[in-house]
Amino acid sequence: MPESTDASSPDPILKVENLKVYFPILGGVFRHKVGEVKAVDDVSFEVQRGKTVGLVGESSSGKTTIGRAIIRLTEPTAGTISYDGKVVSKLSAAAFRPYRKKIQIIFQDPYNSLNPRLSIFEIIGEALEIHFPEMTPADRRARVAELLGKVGLKRDHLDRYPHEFSGGQRQRIGIARALAVNPEFLVCDEPVSALDVSVQAQIVNLLQDLQEELGLTYLFIAHDLAVVEHISDFVLVMNDGKIVEAASAEAIYENPQHDYTRKLLSAVPKM
Amino acid sequence: MNQTNFVHESYAQRIWRRFRAEPFARNGLWTILVLFAVAALAPFLANSHAIIRVADGRVTFPIFPSLEPIEWRFLLYVPLAGLAWLFRRRLFARPLGGATFLLALVILIEVWLVFHHVVNDPTNDRDRPAAFKLMPLVPFSPVETASEPFLPPSWTHPCGTDSTGRDIAARMLHGARTSLSIGFVAQSIALSIGVTLGSLAGYYRSWPDIAICRLIEIMDCFPPLLLILVAVSLFESQNNMFYIMAVIGLTTWTGMARLVRGEFLRLSGLPFTLAAQAIGAGDLRVIVRHILPNALGPILVAGTFGVASTILLESSLSFLGFGMQAPTPSWGDILGESRLYIDFAWWLAFFPGLAILITIMSYNFVGEGLRDAVDPRLRIK
Amino acid sequence: MTTYLIRRILLLVPTLLGITLLTFLLVREAPGNIALMKGAGGENGSRAMTAEQREAMIKLYGLDKDPFTAYAEWIGRLTRLDLGDSWVDHRSVVAKIGERIGLTASLAGSALLISYLVAIPLGVIAAIKRGQVTDRAISFTVFVLYSIPSFAAALLLILLVAGGDYLNLLPMYGTNSINASEMGRFEWLWDRIQHMILPVICLTYGSLSYISRYARVSMLEALAQDFIRTARAKGLPERLVILHHALRNALIPIITIFALELPVLISGAVIIEEIFSLPGMGQLMFASLEARDNPTIMGITVFVSILTLLGYLLADILYVVVDPRIRYE
Repeated sequence: MPESTDASSPDPILKVENLKVYFPILGGVFRHKVGEVKAVDDVSFEVQRGKTVGLVGESSSGKTTIGRAIIRLTEPTAGTISYDGKVVSKLSAAAFRPYRKKIQIIFQDPYNSLNPRLSIFEIIGEALEIHFPEMTPADRRARVAELLGKVGLKRDHLDRYPHEFSGGQRQRIGIARALAVNPEFLVCDEPVSALDVSVQAQIVNLLQDLQEELGLTYLFIAHDLAVVEHISDFVLVMNDGKIVEAASAEAIYENPQHDYTRKLLSAVPKM
Repeated sequence: MNQTNFVHESYAQRIWRRFRAEPFARNGLWTILVLFAVAALAPFLANSHAIIRVADGRVTFPIFPSLEPIEWRFLLYVPLAGLAWLFRRRLFARPLGGATFLLALVILIEVWLVFHHVVNDPTNDRDRPAAFKLMPLVPFSPVETASEPFLPPSWTHPCGTDSTGRDIAARMLHGARTSLSIGFVAQSIALSIGVTLGSLAGYYRSWPDIAICRLIEIMDCFPPLLLILVAVSLFESQNNMFYIMAVIGLTTWTGMARLVRGEFLRLSGLPFTLAAQAIGAGDLRVIVRHILPNALGPILVAGTFGVASTILLESSLSFLGFGMQAPTPSWGDILGESRLYIDFAWWLAFFPGLAILITIMSYNFVGEGLRDAVDPRLRIK
Repeated sequence: MTTYLIRRILLLVPTLLGITLLTFLLVREAPGNIALMKGAGGENGSRAMTAEQREAMIKLYGLDKDPFTAYAEWIGRLTRLDLGDSWVDHRSVVAKIGERIGLTASLAGSALLISYLVAIPLGVIAAIKRGQVTDRAISFTVFVLYSIPSFAAALLLILLVAGGDYLNLLPMYGTNSINASEMGRFEWLWDRIQHMILPVICLTYGSLSYISRYARVSMLEALAQDFIRTARAKGLPERLVILHHALRNALIPIITIFALELPVLISGAVIIEEIFSLPGMGQLMFASLEARDNPTIMGITVFVSILTLLGYLLADILYVVVDPRIRYE
């Protein structure tokens, strides 16, 4: 595993080059394209194996779109995304499927990210059903129970439903779901933004513990520099679909270069 | 309310608990169940043949040979559905096995019905002497000329007789089958079409959505009753029950499609849908396992109200004389026949009218109760 | 808004093409046709046609052409606003609809007007007295009314008040009494009103119950808004709060549903006209369906479809007009 936190070092696990995601604006009498929203506009960066890259920006800066493009929930307009040296952004949906075992995502909203009609076992076990069809229901139960233990929940939570859990507990379930397939890379899309401050720290610590234990790589998306600074090795600052500053976490905090970064920093309470 | 009540309670259980708490809705559901039971048992409640007859030292069951296939269907499928529901856990422990078993039973019944020979015996057991006989509650068949025409309600004919002397009570009991099954089946057809097209439009958006929305708009710009009238009156020769069901189903699915499309548009953008897609779940899995169950509440509510309006639609058609051809009685038919004699024979209009009212009201109460149970925010008490 | 309107109006064209093509094919491809109907003779005592005569008739009505060509020709005439002539009496379809529409429109119009006049106060009172006996009584009554089929109500009303065994207050059917031509103007009008009372009641109560349920919900929502609490906090009299602030906001959705009531009322009118023997659009529809008078069936289809589509459009426009917060780009 490479030691350096430098973005240009060899063997990046994820490499994003000139990524553009444009959404058309339809209008006029015939609903034709009258313009486009440049959600992500020519973005390039790398993520090193085992490290955490923070992606910071205000809402609608395009950070969530990048996360979704990586896991193919949104199709890129142009540019490439490479994983482990292979270009994955142009693969067909079927060809990308094996990569869904390696790349997973955690969502922001703990209330809408769990299907309210399914039990916790069904929610977490679904990934196993899809990717490990050879597992028996008993195997799956055992594995889900183990995952629940990993994220700090109890085995007897298996047959409960999402509405019986608090926001922080739900986020833990979301993490367990992402971990079910033994991924290498996690897109954490504002995983703590919707939580109380005290709970935020617990979840961030859990993510850090899991990273150490499982050797995970994170792309950590947030609008709050303080959270990102705490967990990240390297930080990207985004504004209006472009990356305006990229530096190590300390450098960003100590010596911000860009006005926008300073603006974001001024919103962070000094401790 | 105590929070611990919710532990381990699935969504369906929660809805059921809230639904049961509504007295109107609960009674509406009971009424519908009783009506279905009446429909299923109609041949045993009103028949000119005896249920059990002992004569010349022989015990016979004269009703059974005279049963029509549709009567057998009701008699067999309604209890079968009830039993399947009671034992659903054991039956569907292996979903494929359970479905195969039920399908095999249905095929068995249908094949038997094809070869089943209906004995048409015009005699009745009312006047025939016997050592012992157990007659149905209403000892008249719905098609026989049982008494004088236009007899007002009496002990013999609790709902009177019609212009040809047929017993209204017997016709009403048998008519329940037509009205209820058309309401249920036609709405199921509408529901299947609406849910399929609505989910395609809402899930895939872009061109399927545009095409389906146009289709909905086309269907919607013509009042369903008129469209059905055109379809039914032009193909008069084919006016059997299934044709009417199909026509009603094919013309009334748009509301359901709109609703399902809206739900799918909303739900397909929510993180849990995205999470399923990120895991690698296919479209079918996302639709069936993640989106549809979350849209089920509103679908069920709309379906229940839909059954009510379908029953109303069917009875309007029969009333106007465009429904099924006689002698299959339906409540609308009886009402339609009563038009000419309305100035003196009130019972001809009153009883079928009341039956339709009670049925529609029960469905509407159940619909309201379900809606409140599905979405407590809508509860306005 | 202008772009939106143009778009909506342009979209009416494919929709109309769709519904007319659907009806055209249905009407044309159904078994039997006008030539067979007329040729059968029988009932009206006329002699049956020879095979040649029938062939000639089929040619005359263009029934030998392929249906899509025939549809294209029909559309061609429609663009010149020509709906053709009836196959039954060879009068212009437009004229036939024209002489029927007045009655149906006045029926549906009065039903709509009365529905609103009664439903809004009912809904508002129920909302204000939420949960009390008044509310429960209104809500239950409205619920029962909503579930009564209009034809059953019509029959029972005729039985009770129009010449049955009980009261004989109102005429049973028709638009006027037999001696209407001898009446003076006011006498005639009074006679007409008496004839319309029962049909209008039967057509009204369904819409009325629907609108009042809707009005109640809408009013309850308005009463729960913040500005109502503010108005109350300011010490405004309750009457003013309800009438001036809440009702004004509640009216928006109530008014816009009138467009959705149009097709319901048209369907209802078909049945009611049939029961009370009123020569309106509904009766014309029945007659032309029975006679397989294709041009008239198509004419009514076009007419009703345009009316319904315009209703939906109007509802959307009204929504913007009464509520400045809603904007269509």
